[in-house]
Amino acid sequence: MVRFEIKKIFGKRINKLVLVLLFVIVLIGSFLAIRDVRCYQEDGSVRSGVAAISQLKKLKNKWRGAVTEDVIKKVVQENQLSRDSETIKLARQQSFDDIREMINAGFSPAEGYDYYTADQISPEKAAKLYEQRIEKLKEELSAGNEEGNYTNKEKEFLIHQYESLKTPLYYEYAEGWKALLDSQYLPTLMIITIVMIGFLVSGIFSDEFQYKTDSVFFSSRLGRSRAIVSKIAAGFLAITVVYWSVMLLFSAIILCVVGFGGAGCMIQTGLGNWESFYNITYLQDWLLTMFGGYAGNLFILSFAMLISVKSRSTVLTVTVPFVLSCAPMFLGRVQILTKIMNFFPDMLLRISKFLDVLLVCEVGGNVIGVYPFLIVLYFLLSLAIIPVLYCGYRRAEVK
Amino acid sequence: MELNIIDLTKKFGKFTAVNHLNVTMTNGVYGLLGVNGAGKTTLMRMICTLLGPTSGTITCDGKDIMSMGENYRKKLGYLPQDFGFYPEFTVQDYLLYIAAIKGLRPVVAKKRVNDLISGVGLSKAANKKMRKLSGGMKRRAGIAQAMLNDPAVLVLDEPTAGLDPNERIRFRNLISELAENRLVLLSTHIVSDIEYIANEILLMREGELVHRGTAAQLIASMKESVWKCYAQKKDVSHFMKNYKISNMKSEPDGVELRIISNERPAMDAVPEEANLEDVFLYYFGEKVSDTNGAI
Ligand SMILES: Nc1ncnc2c1ncn2[C@@H]1O[C@H](COP(=O)(O)OP(=O)(O)OP(=O)(O)O)[C@@H](O)[C@H]1O
Ligand SMILES: [Mg+2]
Repeated sequence: MVRFEIKKIFGKRINKLVLVLLFVIVLIGSFLAIRDVRCYQEDGSVRSGVAAISQLKKLKNKWRGAVTEDVIKKVVQENQLSRDSETIKLARQQSFDDIREMINAGFSPAEGYDYYTADQISPEKAAKLYEQRIEKLKEELSAGNEEGNYTNKEKEFLIHQYESLKTPLYYEYAEGWKALLDSQYLPTLMIITIVMIGFLVSGIFSDEFQYKTDSVFFSSRLGRSRAIVSKIAAGFLAITVVYWSVMLLFSAIILCVVGFGGAGCMIQTGLGNWESFYNITYLQDWLLTMFGGYAGNLFILSFAMLISVKSRSTVLTVTVPFVLSCAPMFLGRVQILTKIMNFFPDMLLRISKFLDVLLVCEVGGNVIGVYPFLIVLYFLLSLAIIPVLYCGYRRAEVK
Repeated sequence: MELNIIDLTKKFGKFTAVNHLNVTMTNGVYGLLGVNGAGKTTLMRMICTLLGPTSGTITCDGKDIMSMGENYRKKLGYLPQDFGFYPEFTVQDYLLYIAAIKGLRPVVAKKRVNDLISGVGLSKAANKKMRKLSGGMKRRAGIAQAMLNDPAVLVLDEPTAGLDPNERIRFRNLISELAENRLVLLSTHIVSDIEYIANEILLMREGELVHRGTAAQLIASMKESVWKCYAQKKDVSHFMKNYKISNMKSEPDGVELRIISNERPAMDAVPEEANLEDVFLYYFGEKVSDTNGAI
């Protein structure tokens, strides 16, 4: 029975189109993400994409290894030594750019990031980079001007997380992971994917009414029992297969081209996640992001299916994933909502971009990061929707 | 196999579509006859458990069909009036899918589907997409679908609507063949269809059962007589205002009228043998009165 439901989904012309479109979007997205990998040449020109990769890899891997105090000092010295023109400087800095950015992020004033921080700092001061990271957090927490005010317990948790980051950090070339996870392309692709899968699952329940096949369906022996189960199964199967295909394809293309190296580096080794309290590697970041996205997809799309059951309208259902994954971005501008917005399912679609935001919550007396909480929460909520879907459809009348 | 409809009522808001209806049916072909909006489809939907009654019950061999659930639905075959289909499925896929949701085992389903496809004469179209079929072929697929589980209760809502005369006759024969050893309830407003295949006719008006019986019984139940007379064209409107006209035929020198009336409508009127068309008009027909008299 599930086989026929799947056949119904992928037999629809619009759905075939959606699949092709999604495939093309993955190709374009990964092409753009790869093109963003840049390598500056001493003559002022810029290489990007595939041409930049091997050169950049060689440059960056010169600094492969633990970023100890000595290494930091050396970076500061080399950085300040070169009194070349801006273009040559840009090219030379590239090899230690990630470490330089860690210094920038670490020692920039509280008011904001300053790119030239590393140019003026003394090597001795810079060497205290890791201590400075914790100090800065403590200062910010006691100043109380971080967004959202933290309870003492939450502050303790954050400080504890910061302190338990194992230093010195191990560093190596990780541009593949950075291109994949630290760019805007992944969250965008996740939103596009969810909207597209919305098309696929939108008709599973409502089409029976639209095609007027409901009379035969519900008067059949299993029409109010197993046939519904197979619809739900087909929905979850479509979501799972399409989501993971898109994500694995996108990840595979980027990592194969730009490189798998650096999977074991902590996400703090770079500008993007220096302030993150998640002490995880890039590989773990990827897993967290992917499963987060999956939980978000499951919840938003099963909610859409619920709307499909209740409204009997395929068109209305198609809009649900779009509204749930995009609308909060606009609503987010309303101040009072911001705290609640952090718990909306759309957050799960952009985990990798927001890993450096200090979002925590308290569950059963323990403080934890918001994302693991949201993943579990929305996964459970998706499961909870299943019986509601089932009962709602089972009781449907044909009028 | 006995289907018992007890004091069945269905209301849509304030409107009563089926009104305290009582009827018992056993094996055989029952023809449900009534004008548009009489409540035929509503009644059939309740028999197919698609709609819950507002009050009253339907029982199958003494048990409430709503609480029987699967055990009742496995005996049921239904061809709805607005028969819908999955546009991208082929006839064969469609039937295999319905067989699956009817709970047929795959091996049995395959054989049954093939038998029915040739049984309803769709062999050539078996691998055609449903949306490419003609109206008549769709109805055939509809019949095949209803017959998949060899139902003890077969409900056909206007199975011959929209078919050309040839196709209608073929369809009628098909239904007669299928009618053995089961309860068939079919609705139509084409009187000749029902006269031909139904053992028993149920007349429905405004949600109520006004009469039931065989064609002969129904004809006998008429309390008025049928007359044939000739009239000038200019006099026709006079007749239409005052009598129920069951038929009208233009002749070179006037109009031949078939009139249902207690008294002789005209001097030259001759009594006629009543038929089922007359019965239909007798129970459902209205004098045209003041709406329009012109032809
Ligand atoms: N879902 C509904 N909501 C409100 N009114 C309805 C609904 N379904 C049917 N009705 C009304 O109930 C009455 C009976 O409708 P039904 O479809 O049962 O008639 P029918 O005898 O099958 O007519 P037809 O010969 O045109 O098919 C009609 O007046 C119709 O408008
Ligand atoms: Mg009807």
